[in-house]
Amino acid sequence: MPYILNTSKDIEQMLKVIGVSSVEELYRDIPSSIRLKGSLSLREGLSEFEVKKEIEALSRKNTPLNRFNSFLGAGCYDHYVPAAVDAILASSSFLTAYTPYQAECSQGSLEAIYEYQSFICGLTGMDVSNASLFDGASALAEAVLMSLRVTGRKKILIHGLHPQYRKTLDTYLSGLEFLVEEVPSDKDGFIDKKTLKESLNDEVACFAFASPNFFGLVEDVQSFTSYLKSKGVLGVMVANPLSLAMFNAPAVLGIDIVCGDGQPLGGRLNFGGPAFGLLAAKGQYLRHMPGRIIGKTQDKDGNPAYCLTLQTREQHIRRQKATSNICSNHSLNAIGAAIYLSLMGKKGLESVSLSCFNNAQYLYQRLEEVRGIKIPYGRRFFNEFVWEVEEAASVMEKLRNKNIIAGYYLGNDFPEFKNRILSCCIETKSKEDIDNFIQELAEVLHG
Amino acid sequence: MAEEKKNNAKEIPDKTGYIIAAGVPLINPGNIFPEGFLRKEIPISDSGELEVIRHYSRLSKNNFSLDANFYPLGSCTMKYNPKINEYLANLEGFCGIHPCQDQRDTQGALELLYNLQQVLCEITGMKRFSLEPSSGAQGEFTGISIIRKYHQVKGSKKTKIIVPDSAHGTNPATASMCGFETITVESDSRGLIDINKLEQLLDDDVAAVMLTNPNTLGLFEKNILEISRLIHSKGGLLYYDGANFNPLLGITKPSLMGFDVVHLNLHKTFSTPHGTGGPGAGALGVVEELADFLPVPIVVKKDQSFYFDYSLKHSIGRVRSFYGNFSVLVRAYAYILRLGAQGLLRAAQNSVINANYLRVKLQLLYEVAYPFICMHEVVLSAQRQKEKGASALDISKRLIDYGIHPPTMYFPLIVKEALMVEPTETENKKTLDNFIRIMVEINNEIDTDISKVKDAPHRTSVKRVDEVRAARFPDLKWSAEKSSKQ
Repeated sequence: MPYILNTSKDIEQMLKVIGVSSVEELYRDIPSSIRLKGSLSLREGLSEFEVKKEIEALSRKNTPLNRFNSFLGAGCYDHYVPAAVDAILASSSFLTAYTPYQAECSQGSLEAIYEYQSFICGLTGMDVSNASLFDGASALAEAVLMSLRVTGRKKILIHGLHPQYRKTLDTYLSGLEFLVEEVPSDKDGFIDKKTLKESLNDEVACFAFASPNFFGLVEDVQSFTSYLKSKGVLGVMVANPLSLAMFNAPAVLGIDIVCGDGQPLGGRLNFGGPAFGLLAAKGQYLRHMPGRIIGKTQDKDGNPAYCLTLQTREQHIRRQKATSNICSNHSLNAIGAAIYLSLMGKKGLESVSLSCFNNAQYLYQRLEEVRGIKIPYGRRFFNEFVWEVEEAASVMEKLRNKNIIAGYYLGNDFPEFKNRILSCCIETKSKEDIDNFIQELAEVLHG
Repeated sequence: MAEEKKNNAKEIPDKTGYIIAAGVPLINPGNIFPEGFLRKEIPISDSGELEVIRHYSRLSKNNFSLDANFYPLGSCTMKYNPKINEYLANLEGFCGIHPCQDQRDTQGALELLYNLQQVLCEITGMKRFSLEPSSGAQGEFTGISIIRKYHQVKGSKKTKIIVPDSAHGTNPATASMCGFETITVESDSRGLIDINKLEQLLDDDVAAVMLTNPNTLGLFEKNILEISRLIHSKGGLLYYDGANFNPLLGITKPSLMGFDVVHLNLHKTFSTPHGTGGPGAGALGVVEELADFLPVPIVVKKDQSFYFDYSLKHSIGRVRSFYGNFSVLVRAYAYILRLGAQGLLRAAQNSVINANYLRVKLQLLYEVAYPFICMHEVVLSAQRQKEKGASALDISKRLIDYGIHPPTMYFPLIVKEALMVEPTETENKKTLDNFIRIMVEINNEIDTDISKVKDAPHRTSVKRVDEVRAARFPDLKWSAEKSSKQ
C-alpha cells in the first residue's frame, strides 16, 4: 500500500504484542450499526505515474495568466518571484516541520519568522507584527475584532475595501452585535473626509479603510488620522505591502493597526491561495493581537534563542477567552515573504515599486489618448486604476479574443459601475505589452 | 504636469538582476504625490543571492522536520507528505492561474475542486462540501457560523455551545468568536463524555455539541449515537472536529455517527505538509438540510463544464477571499487518488495498530492515562517520572537529543504531565521500536543520571530556551539600529 512501511509480518507481531488477533478487534468500541458496510465508493488507488498523468492533464485544462497579455490584479498580482524563493521554500526543513512549539529543535523556523515580523514592522513602521494570518480578508476581520476588544465600542466605519474583504468582515461580525457603516467617496474617489469627520464619535471603534483602495487610489492618510485620534477611534489600514516600499509607513501617518494580503511579497497566484495575511500594530495593542508571535530570548547559557511567546493570548491556553481561534496560520508563505524581501533588498524593492508605478502611469496616459475611454479618477495610484468604456464587458471579451485580459470587470460587484474596468500594471509588463493593449483596444473600439 | 524623460536601462534606479527595465517614460512620484506621501528610506538592507541562500540554509539546519525526524506529535497527524504532491501543486497550470480569470481558463482547477468536494462527501457521508476555509480553526468558524444562521432562520434563539473538557482549544475559542457561550462537559472515568452530565447541561438554548471522535485521549466515543440522539432531541446540532479523523477512514463516517457538520484538516488526514505551522486547509461538509448555508462560492457541474455557484439561499457569505488554499487542495486530491478506498482504509488501520503497539509497550514504564484500546494516538502521563524529578517537559527535551520530535505536551488538559503520542501509519515497527528503546533509556537516565534529562537538550543549536524571559521582555523584531539581517 502506498506510504505504508509496516510489512504483514510487522503487523502480525504488533497485533500479538497488543494482544488482539486482528486489527478488527482494535475497532471493537465502534458500534456495528455505524460501521461502514463494504468499502468507500472511491476509485481504486492509482500508481504515482497514473496520478501524475491525471492531474497534469487537469492542469493543462487551465490557461496560466502569463499566456495572456494580462492587466488583471484586484488583490492578486503576478509579480516576478525570484527562483531562490521557491528553492528555499521547497526545502523539507521548512516545508515538513510543524508549528515551532519545541523551540530547541525549531530555531530555523523561529528565526525565519522573527525576521518576517521584523520586515513587516520595518515596512509598516509598527512595533509588533504577528507570525501571519490566512489572507488579507481574514486579516482585516481580525484587525477589526482587535479594535473592538481594544476600545470596547460597537461601531465600525469602513471605506474602499476589496468587495471580498467586505463580505468576509460581515461574516466575521455576524455573530456579534456590531454596526458597520460605509463612509462615502468624494468625487475624486477618495474618502469623503467631511462625512468621515461627522461620523466619528465615541461609539466608533475603528475606521477600517484600504490605501491603495480597491480602485487603486492612495489616500491622504495623514489628513484624517488626527480626527480619529481625537475621538479615540483606531485607524485600521489595509495596505498592499509592496506599495509600502514607495509610500510612507502607516505608523508614521498615525495608523494604529495595519493589515493586508502578503501575496505581492513573493507569492505565486495559486488560484488565490495560499498567500498570507499580515497584521501589525502599535506596541500598546500587543496583548490584543491574534495569532502566533515569535520572540527573541536566551537559552540557559545566555546565548540568543527564539521561541513562541505571549501564548496566553491564544486558544490552546486561553480557550474561550482567547483573542482568536486561529491555530494553524500561513507561516510558510510568510517565510517566503522574508526570503523575497531579503533577496530584493532596498534597491530591488525600490526598483519593483517604481516599475509598477511607472508602468501603470504610462498605461493611464495611453488610455487617456484613446477616443471613447473615460477615466473617472486622477493619477494618485500605485499599480492599478479604473477606466470606463461603453459596453465594457463586451469590449473585454473582444480583447480576450486578441489574447488580452484588460483587467477586472467591476460591473459584477458594483452594479452602478457596469462600464468600469480595474486595470493593473506591474513590473513584469513591458512598454510593448502596454502599447499592444492600447493598439488592440483602439481597434476594438474604432476598427 | 509630470516631468517625463525617456527611459534607458541606466535610469532605472539601482535595478537588481530580477527586474528588467520596462522601457516606459519615467515619472517622478513626487510630481504626482504631495509632500508626506512618499517614503524616504526602505529599512531593508541589500544582500546578494548567495548570502541569502547561505543564511536560510543555515537556518534550515536548526530545524527538526518530518522528512528528517520521527515526529509523533499528538493530534497533529504528522504523516509522510508524498513528493509527487509537491510537484503537482507547483505545476504552472495551477500556481500560475489567477482567481479572477475567466472560468473558461480555469476549467481544470474547477474540475479538481469539484472532484475533491465529491470525494470528501463520500468519505464523510456529508451532502455538500466547501473547500474555502483556510485551516481547521477557520473550518470550525465556518461550521459554527452555519449552525448559528440555521437556528436563526428557523427562528430559534440559541446561545450555548457544549464542548468536552478534553476538546482542542480551538473549539471553545470558535464558539466565542461566533457569539456563543461555551459550556464544558466533563469526561467520565473512562475518558469519554459523561452522558449523565451532558444530559443535565442540555437545554433548548444549546445550539450544538462540538466533538472530536476519537477524542483527544485517542478514545472512540462509543456512546456517540446516544449523544447524537440527546442533542438532536433538543433541536441542537452535532459538530465534528475532524482533527482526529485519520483512524476512521473507511471504517465509519461522521454521517453514520449522527454528525451534521464536519470539518476535515486536509493537512492532517490528507497528508499535505504543515509548513512550520501552515498553510493547511479546513474543508467543511454539511448534511443536506444545511447545504444552502455553506460559504460561497462552491463548485458545481453542469453539462460537461464546471462553474462557481454563488446562489446558495442562506449562505453565511465568505470566510476569506477567493476559493481557499487551492494548492493545498491539489495535494490532498492527489493523495486521495493515489490511495483510493483500500489505501485510505489501510492508512487508518495502521495508524491504530501503531498507536496501540506504543501504548502496550510503553505502559510498563509510563502511565497510560486511560488504559484502554486507543485509536490513532495514546496519551501517556509522566506522573511517575515527575515524582522522581523529571517532568513531561524534561522528557520531551531529552527526546530531542535522540533526534525525535517530542509528543504534544500537557494536552489534553485533563491528564497530568500528559505526553500525547501519535505515530501515524507512515512509520513502521522499526521506527517505533527505536522510539520505545529511547523512552526506556530516558526512564533509566531519570534513575541513574537525572541531570541528563533535566538539562536537555544537549545536542541542539541552542540549549533549553528561556520562554519566561521571552514573555517578560518581549523582543519581537530587530532593534532600530539593526533593522537589517546579519
